[in-house]
Formats: sequence, C-alpha cells, structure tokens
Amino acid sequence: MYKLFLSWRYLTARRTNLIGIVGITVGVGALIMILSIMTGFLDEHRAAIRGGLSDLVITPIHLARSDRSVPPREPEALLEIVRADPRVAGAAPRLVWGGMISPRGAQTDLSEVYYSHPETGNVPVVQLIGIDVASEYQVANLREALARVSSDPASARHGVRDLDDPFAAPRDLDDDGIAYRGILVGKKLYDTFQLRVGDRVNVLTAVPDPRSGAVKSNNLIFTVCGAFKTGQSEIDSDIAYFDRRALAELIGNERSFSTVLVKLHDFERDGAATRADLEQRLDQARLIRGEGDEVSTWEDLRGSLIAAIENERILIGVMLALVLLVAGFTVFAILSMMVVEKRRDIGILSALGATRGGVLSTFLLIAFWDALVGAVSGAVLGVWLAVKIDPFERWLSATIGYQIWNREIYLFDTIPSRIVPIAVALIVLGAFACTLLFAAIPAVRAARLDPLEALRYE
Amino acid sequence: MSAPASGTRHALEVRGIAKSFQVGSETLDVLRGIDLAIPYGQPVALVGSSGAGKSTLLHIAGLLERPSAGSVRVDGVDGWNLSPDERAKVRNRKVGFVFQFYHLLPELSALENVLLPAMIAHSPGEYRAARAQLTEAALGLLARFGLQARTKHRPSQLSGGERQRVALARALIHDPPILIADEPTGNLDSATGERVLELLFDEQRTRHFAMLLVTHDAKLAARCPRTVTMRDGRIVGDTNGSGAA
Repeated sequence: MYKLFLSWRYLTARRTNLIGIVGITVGVGALIMILSIMTGFLDEHRAAIRGGLSDLVITPIHLARSDRSVPPREPEALLEIVRADPRVAGAAPRLVWGGMISPRGAQTDLSEVYYSHPETGNVPVVQLIGIDVASEYQVANLREALARVSSDPASARHGVRDLDDPFAAPRDLDDDGIAYRGILVGKKLYDTFQLRVGDRVNVLTAVPDPRSGAVKSNNLIFTVCGAFKTGQSEIDSDIAYFDRRALAELIGNERSFSTVLVKLHDFERDGAATRADLEQRLDQARLIRGEGDEVSTWEDLRGSLIAAIENERILIGVMLALVLLVAGFTVFAILSMMVVEKRRDIGILSALGATRGGVLSTFLLIAFWDALVGAVSGAVLGVWLAVKIDPFERWLSATIGYQIWNREIYLFDTIPSRIVPIAVALIVLGAFACTLLFAAIPAVRAARLDPLEALRYE
Repeated sequence: MSAPASGTRHALEVRGIAKSFQVGSETLDVLRGIDLAIPYGQPVALVGSSGAGKSTLLHIAGLLERPSAGSVRVDGVDGWNLSPDERAKVRNRKVGFVFQFYHLLPELSALENVLLPAMIAHSPGEYRAARAQLTEAALGLLARFGLQARTKHRPSQLSGGERQRVALARALIHDPPILIADEPTGNLDSATGERVLELLFDEQRTRHFAMLLVTHDAKLAARCPRTVTMRDGRIVGDTNGSGAA
C-alpha cells in the first residue's frame, strides 16, 4: 500500500515533478498534433491529386513511331479503346497549353496586377485547359469546384449560370459583335484581376508555325462565365478552363487534345493492370508512340511528392520523439535529485520493513504517475489541437500579429489534420516506455542504497 | 504483548555476534563475541563510551546490519538466516525502532507517519479493508501521547518532543515484542526528554514489550531494571543476575 501512497505523495508534494510532467505533456501533445497534420497533408495531397489528375493519364507523344506512322491528333479513336475497358468508369480528353490573360477594360492598372501577381511574380502565365464538359465531370472534380463558388450565397454572383453547361453565356450579356467563347477562371486569378462574370478577357499565347517553323503569337477574346474554387491554391490561381474546341482554335487548330484522363471504378485494385493493358492496346492500335512513358497512373506522376511528404512525416516523427527523450531525461534528473534528497527516507522505510523491491517500485511509481498524468494530458492536448488547429492558428496569428499559416503558399485553405488512433496509442506508449526506462536508473540506485548509511546521514 | 514463539522465553536473543570492518589492509573488530538475551517485557539499558560498539550491536539486533558471525533471534525467529524480504517482514512486525533524530517522513502527517508500518505490512486491498481499525488504533496512540490536536500536522510543524512522541507511536503501532531505541532523548531538552520517557515507560508497563535502549544518560539507564555495559566490542557488565547470558 505504501508504494502507491508514498509515490503519489512525493509526486504532489514536490513541485519539481511538474517540470517532468509538463515536458511529457508538451512532447506527447506536439507529437500527436504534428503527426496528425502531416497525415492530413498526405491525405489532402492524395485526394487533391486524384481529383485533378484522375486515376490514369494518357499523354501521347505526337512524334513518328518506329514504323513511321504518327499518332492521330484527334482523341476519338483513343477514347473508344479506353472506354471499351470494363474497368474504366470514364475518360476525358484535355487540351493543355500555356498563355497569359489580359482583362479588357479593367479599372486596375494592368502593370500593377502583373507585377504584384502573388504566384508567378512578374509574369502571370496561366495554364489553359480545354475540356469536354460532360466527360470532364466524370473524371475530375471541376463540377464541385464550380459549385463551391456558385452555391455559396457570398460568392454566387461570381459563379456560373448553369452547372450542367458552364460555358453557357451569362445573363444580360451585351452583344458587342464579338463571337462568343466562354472561359472559367480560378477564383484566385479571378480575384487578382478583379474580374466580373460577363467581362471580356484577351487570352494571348504563342504557337509554333508548322510551315515556317517560327513562333507566332495568337490571341482571342473570351467571356468570363464564372470562377471555380478547388481549395488548392496553385490550381485556383494558375488555371483557366475553356471549351476544348475554342482553345484549339486559339492555338491554330494544330492539335485538339494533349492528354486523356481516365477514371477507374477501383483504382486500388485495377490501377496497375489497367495501365499496362491500355498501354499495350493503344500501342497495337498505333495511337501512342509506344515507348513506355505515355500511360501513367497518378501515383507515377506525383509519386515523388507523396513519397517526400511520407518521408517528412517519418522524419518529423523521429525528431519529435527526441522531445520525449528530453522529457524522459528530465524525469531522470528530477528522480536522481529526489533519491539523493530522500536518502534518509529510504533508510527509514527499510528500518520500518520496506523491501528493496518496495523502494524500487516506489520510485518507479513516481515516474509512472509522471508518465500517466503527462501522457494523458498530452494526448488530450494533442488531439484537441489537431481537431481545432485551424481556429487555434487563426487565434494565435491574430494574437501575435503574424500569419503563421500562409494560405497563399500552401495548397490548402485550411490546415489539414487527421488523427490516427493507433499513432496516438503508440505515442502514449512510447512516452510511458521512455519515462520508465529513464526512471529505472535512479530507482535501482534508491533500492541499492544501504539503509544504515542512509540513516546515519543526518 | 506478543506470545513467545517456538518455546523461547526471549524477545531478543543475540548469540556470538562479531562484527569487523576492513579498513585498508587492517581489520577493525567492532564487536567481539556478544551474547545477550532479553526476556519478554524486560527493559534493558545499553551503556558504554563512544566507539564501544553499542550502535553497531543495536543495528545488528534490529536486523539492519549483517554481523560477521553469530545469530540474532527476534521473537524466536533467526533473523539473519532469512531472505532479505522475510527479514524485512520481521523488522516490520516484530521490531519497533525509535531513533535519536526521530526519522519521520517530512511529506507525511503525524497520523500518516504512525500508519506507515501498517501500510508497509499490507497490500492496498488489505489496507483498505483494515483502514478504519488501523486509523482508530493510530489515533488512539496519538491521543494517549497528547497529540490528538496534532494528527494532521507535518513533522516540520511539530516540536522535538512531539516528533519523538509520533516516532514512539509509529514504533508501537504493530505492538512489537521488542522496541529498540537509540538515544531516544538525546536530541531533546531534559524536561521534554523526561516527558517522552514517562510515556515510553508507561507504555512498556502496559504493553509489556522488551526494550533495548542505547543511552549515555545515567538517569535513563537508572530507570531500567537491567543495564548492560559495553567496552571495546565486548560486554563488560550486566546488572542482570545471570550476567552476560
């Protein structure tokens, strides 16, 4: 009985123990919070990349094959083969190009906008993506991104008129005699240029002339049909969507698609096999160049990014585990001090009939209470912070007057976080093991103390 | 008083005790063959000059320090022939200690200090079951020693005399057959010391436990019916009729 009683009494009577407990709390709390955020990051990245890139991406290289045939510049034959596979849920052709957007008649001085563009510095180069709306909706998250703007009462006036036909002309559009072509603009880009639905923008690009070989510039006027918001900063500030035919017209009809996005019913199960089968079939049909790099899974394309985050998560976990070591060392130092201070008590306990094992247990129990109180409060703190990280960060940023989480430079609007119960349990167990291991050294020393030596010490 | 075990008449029986220390290349003989038997209920004063070996004998008899040779029987149990854990149990149940410097645990209240041997003796479950009874016994002892108003005080809040009375109550909580005291009044002024001795001898008469008291105080020695004198590690005088047993 005295082991429980005395260890708890020693713990509560000595304030220095609090340092050990606080150390464990901070270590466990930080570890849980950071690992939850890193897990959230990983999830967000995977989800975002899945949505944006679809499961498989086919990018034919339009150069002559070894048999001197050239893959076709229209996607239909390719789509037919892809869609015939029962594992495929949908396939959508895309035409991807680069260019610049210049708002016509904007009130803001254009040079100001260009020079202060947050993402690209001085030159606001925009990715121009031509799509077929119906098939694009099957494979990517554009519909949700459009709805995020048009369904929110605060931003509805910047949204498209009809989600099923997003390139439809806005209401009350003045006919100024320009042939109508629609453009959908990422919300950040839209805000940077201070656009309005119905605004006319000039889209400029450079294309090589197949006959002369020289690079010439093309431009066309487009009408803003609405903004979209994926929540991924890069996409929302750098991408504009067009009808695929309209974009082909801008680049001189030299090409009508550059990639085909493929969505599978079950990527986890069929991804690799479908990729290999499609590659073989498309090669046989002479629709790709067939050198092994034109059909990719989304993991192939962003594999290094995912591996980097996963690696970072492990690295941070290992580094933060050092915090637990420091906490364990603090407990070791406090207990060592206590053993020296309590020499006489240890002698008294022995005289009163306590065994060496009993003395050992008493000091180990002090560390056990340290670990219990520290790890439990650390787990509560860590889980709470992981759940409330966004409001907490806003509060902290407002309090110290410095933006800790810069939403401009990250891919997400909110700080992602996901709590993994197994990880929480492992961290708590780790804190226990670390503390008890460190405490064992002074506890054994206490048990080995000669009681008589301790009693003579006065 | 506890009943004698295995037919012996002695609460404490020390036979052929020798103790030597190695100091460098020399062997220092502190005790050179001590025989001493204390019957149940007999108070014995152990006197002698400094360095005579009184404290070493006390520690060996109290099963705190292992002798180089010889045996110690406490209530009939050969203490140095037991495992360390069994010996700790004998110390807990059969020997009451009173030290010159009280040796109370500073983080515990007076009542908790008195209950400490009982906490050591019992598992948490047993202790909870017996708690009310044990607390009552401890409070009874403290009240008898005039400390009923001081039960919740920490040692640092008590005077020297009060601390020694708490230590006395702690030594008696298990009603041991023998009480070993190392200069119990050595750290108290004479009036306070006198009061503590009154209580100690009152209890001894009531409970009839044996006592081995190390003292330099002639008045205290005179209170005991038997005085054992030590010199150079040997017993040189014993007022007991049977002499050095």
